[in-house]
Amino acid sequence: MTLLQAQNVRKLYGGFCALDDVTLTINDGEHVSIIGPNGAGKTTLVNVLTGLVRPTAGNVTFKGYNVVNLGAVRLARLGMARSFQLVNIFPELSVGETIAVAAISHLRHGERFFSSTARNRPVWEIVERVGAIFGFSGKLDQPAKILSQGDKKLLDVASAFALSPEIILLDEPTSGVSTADKSTIMRVLVQAARQMGIKAIIQIEHDMDIVFGYSNRIIAVHNGRILADGSPASIRARADVMATIVGRQYDHA
Amino acid sequence: MTTSTAPIAARTASAGTLKRALALPALLFLVIFLFPFIAGPHYVILMFSAMGYAIALLGLNLLFGYTGLLSLGHAMFLAIGAYTAGYMTSTRIMNFELILLVAVAIGAIVAVPIGLLCIRYVKIYFAMLTLAFSMLLYSFLFKFYHLTGGDEGIRIKVPTLTVWDLSGLDTLSVLTGPLYYYVFVLLVLLTALMRCLTGSSLGLQLRAIRENQQKAEYLGVNVKRYRLVAFVIAAVYGVLGGVIIAIPVGLADPTIAYWVQSGNLIFMLLLGGYTNFLGPLLGAVVFIFFQDQLMSITEYWRLTFGVILVLIVIFFPNGLMAALDRRRWWST
Amino acid sequence: MLASANILVGGVFHAAVLFLVAAGLQIVFGVQKIVNLACGSFYALGAYFGISALAWAAAFEVPAIAYIPILVGSGLLLAIVLGPSVERLLRLIYDRDEHFQILLTFALVLIFEDAIRLIWGAVPLQTINVYFAFGELRIASDLAIPNYNLIVIAAAALISAAFGWMLRRTRFGRIVRATAENKQMSEALCVDVSKVYMAVFTLGVALGTVGGALVVPAGAASIDMGVELIVDAFAVVIIGGLGSMPGALIGALIVGFVRSAAIWLYPEFELLAIYVIVITVLIVRPQGLLARTA
Repeated sequence: MTLLQAQNVRKLYGGFCALDDVTLTINDGEHVSIIGPNGAGKTTLVNVLTGLVRPTAGNVTFKGYNVVNLGAVRLARLGMARSFQLVNIFPELSVGETIAVAAISHLRHGERFFSSTARNRPVWEIVERVGAIFGFSGKLDQPAKILSQGDKKLLDVASAFALSPEIILLDEPTSGVSTADKSTIMRVLVQAARQMGIKAIIQIEHDMDIVFGYSNRIIAVHNGRILADGSPASIRARADVMATIVGRQYDHA
Repeated sequence: MTTSTAPIAARTASAGTLKRALALPALLFLVIFLFPFIAGPHYVILMFSAMGYAIALLGLNLLFGYTGLLSLGHAMFLAIGAYTAGYMTSTRIMNFELILLVAVAIGAIVAVPIGLLCIRYVKIYFAMLTLAFSMLLYSFLFKFYHLTGGDEGIRIKVPTLTVWDLSGLDTLSVLTGPLYYYVFVLLVLLTALMRCLTGSSLGLQLRAIRENQQKAEYLGVNVKRYRLVAFVIAAVYGVLGGVIIAIPVGLADPTIAYWVQSGNLIFMLLLGGYTNFLGPLLGAVVFIFFQDQLMSITEYWRLTFGVILVLIVIFFPNGLMAALDRRRWWST
Repeated sequence: MLASANILVGGVFHAAVLFLVAAGLQIVFGVQKIVNLACGSFYALGAYFGISALAWAAAFEVPAIAYIPILVGSGLLLAIVLGPSVERLLRLIYDRDEHFQILLTFALVLIFEDAIRLIWGAVPLQTINVYFAFGELRIASDLAIPNYNLIVIAAAALISAAFGWMLRRTRFGRIVRATAENKQMSEALCVDVSKVYMAVFTLGVALGTVGGALVVPAGAASIDMGVELIVDAFAVVIIGGLGSMPGALIGALIVGFVRSAAIWLYPEFELLAIYVIVITVLIVRPQGLLARTA
C-alpha cells in the first residue's frame, strides 16, 4: 500500500537547485535509507516530504493528502512523525514530559483541560514503555537540557516514536552516538517500530554498515537528483553509486 | 529495573511532599484571610487591590510563564473590566456577579480577534503588537469623551452581592468586609482552576510550545489553537482582575490601559516569579504594598521601580519564589 | 492645495526623522540582536537636551546658522555619554532570553522617564523662535514652507547617506557587517567584538538622540514623545521589515505621511492613526511584510 508519494518535486533556493525532478513512492513495510554526500539534498528531501518546506514544483501526498496543505500538526494526527538532524528538544521539559507530549497527541488527550496529566495512566504507560525501549527508564525525571548530545537525539527519535505513527522519517538518528552504540540503537529502533506498528521507516544515514545492515531499500541522492533507488544488493552492484557516494571500494559482507 | 505502575509524577502525591507543596500557598491565603482582622482599613483596601492584581497575574502567568508570550498590553483587559463595571453601575446594574459575567463575555469576545492576530507572532513582535492594541484602547478611551468620559473616566459604584444583603453598610465596611471575602473566595477558586489547567494536558502542551514550537507541531500539538486558548484565558483572568482592582478606586479611567500599567503587571510577575503558579499572588501582594510605601516617600517611584526591575532581570530572573525556596515544590 | 503641500512636507519631515531613529534600531538589532525599547527614551532625551543646548546658545547670542550644528552636536554628546554605559549594562544579558532584553530596556524606559521629570519637569517644553529663524520658502502666494523642515530633511538625508557610506565603504563598516553576520567568526578573526558592540550601540543611540534634537523645534518635548516614537518606529519596522534599510525608508515614509495627514485632516485620530495602520498592515499581509514569525 502506498503511504507517501512524491511527484516531480523540484526545490529551488534562488538560483540553486536543491531538488530536481524527484519522484518516489514509499510503501508499507519498507525500511528506506537515504544516502548521499553532504549537500546532496537529503535533508531538503525529507523536509519536503514532511511538509516543512514547500516544493517549487511538484507535490507530495501522504495517504492521498497533499502534505503542504496539511501542516505538521495534521500530519502528526494522520500518522507521520519525524526526527531532526540538529538536536530538537524541549530544553526545560523532562524526558518523561517530552514523550508524554507525543503520547497525549496519540491518545487524543490534548483537549482534556480539566484532568491532571500526572494522573493520566494511559499517557504514562506509553511514556514508560517508550522510555524503556530507548533506555531512558532511570532518566524520565531529568530535564532534557542536561542530557548528552547523543541522548538528546535519541529523545527526539523516541518522542517521534511515541506518536505511534504509520511512517517515521529520521534524519541521521545515530549521528550523535558512539559507534559501539549505533547498532544497539538501530536494533532498538527496528524493534520499537515493530512493537508500535510502524509501517515504514525512512532514514537519512551516512553509516554504510547501518545502511546495508538494516534497510531493505536504498535511495541514493546526488546533486538534488535520485541517482539510484533499489534493494541493497542492486545498489551494491551499481559501481557509479558506490564510487560517488561511498567513495571507496565497500566490501562488507 | 522495575516498572512502576504509578504515574511518574505521582511522586508529588506522597503525603509528605504534598503537605510541603501546599504549605506556602496555604500560609499566604491564611494571611490574606485574616488580614481585615490584623490590619487597618487602608491596608485592607490595598490587599483588596492586590487580590485583583493576583487574579490578573494568574492569567498573565499562563501566557508568559507557561506559553512564553510576553504581552506588553495586558492592561487593556484590566481596562475592559474596569469600564464594564463603570458602565454597568452607572446604569444602575449593580449586581457583582452580573458585572463579572458581562465583563468576562466582553473580554473573551475582544480577546479572540486580537489574539488570533497577535499569536501569529512571537517575542518582540508579539510584545509590540499587544502594546499597540492597548495603546489603541487608551487613545480611544481618552479621545472619545462622549462615549467614554475621556480622561475623567466613568465612576464605579460599589456593587451589590446576590448572597449577601449589603444595604445599610457604608462603602468602607463593604470593601473591608463582605466584598473582601467574596473576592477572596473568588481568588482561591480561580487559583485552583489555574492550577488544574496548568496540571492538565493544556499546561504541558503550552510549555512544549514555549520550549520549541516546531517540535511541538511535529508532535501533533496545535500551536495556534493552544496559544489562542492561553491568550483568551489570560484575557478573562485579566478582565476579572480589572473589575476587582477598579472597585476600591471607584473610577475607570484611560490610564488603566496605559503601557506603564502593562509594565507594572510584568514587573509584579517577575517579582513573584513566573516559573510557578504561586508567583503571581506573591508578586502582586509585595508590589502593591511596596508601591504604596514608596509613593508616600518619593514621587520618582518609576525610577525606583526601573532600578529594581533591572536588578531583578540581571540577578533574580526567577523572582522571589526562587529566592525563597530552591527546591520549587510547587513549580512545574 | 495648501493642505496637501503641508501634508507632503510634514510627512517627509516626519519620515526623515523616523528613518534616522529606525536606522538606529536596525543596526543595533542587526549586530547585537537586541531590540532597544529605550530608543524612544533616547529620542526624548535628545529633544530635551537639545532644548537646553539651544537655551544655552541663545544666552550667548549665537547666530541662527549655528542652531543645526548645536542640535546635532548636543545629540552626539548625549549619545557618547549615555551609549557606552547603557551598552555595558545590556551586555550582561546579551546571551539571555529575548524577553529579558525587552524587560531590561523597558526598565530603562521607566528610569529615563523619571530622569526627564527630575531634570526638566513634567511640563512640555518648547524651543523659542528656532523653527522660524530660517525663514520660509515661498512656493505660491498662499503656500510657504518653513526652511527648517527642508534643512532637517536635508540633514537627515545627509546623515543617512553618511551612515550608508560608512557601512559599505569603510573598514569599520565592514567589520560591523561581518560581526552582524557571524559574531564568532569575527572574534576568530581578532575583531574586538565588545568594542564593535559598544560603537554600534552608541551609534544607534546617537541616531535616536540626534533625531529627537532635530525634531524638537518643530514641536515640543514632552514625556510622552518616547512612547509615541516607539510605536511609530515599530510601525516602520513592521512595514519595512526588521533588518532592511530600504524597507525602513518605505516604512518611514508611510508612517510619516499618515501622521502628517492625521494632524492636518483628522486631529482627533492622530493618536489612533498609527495603531490602526500597524494593525491593518498585519491583517492585510498576515505573514507580515518581511516580519519574522516563530
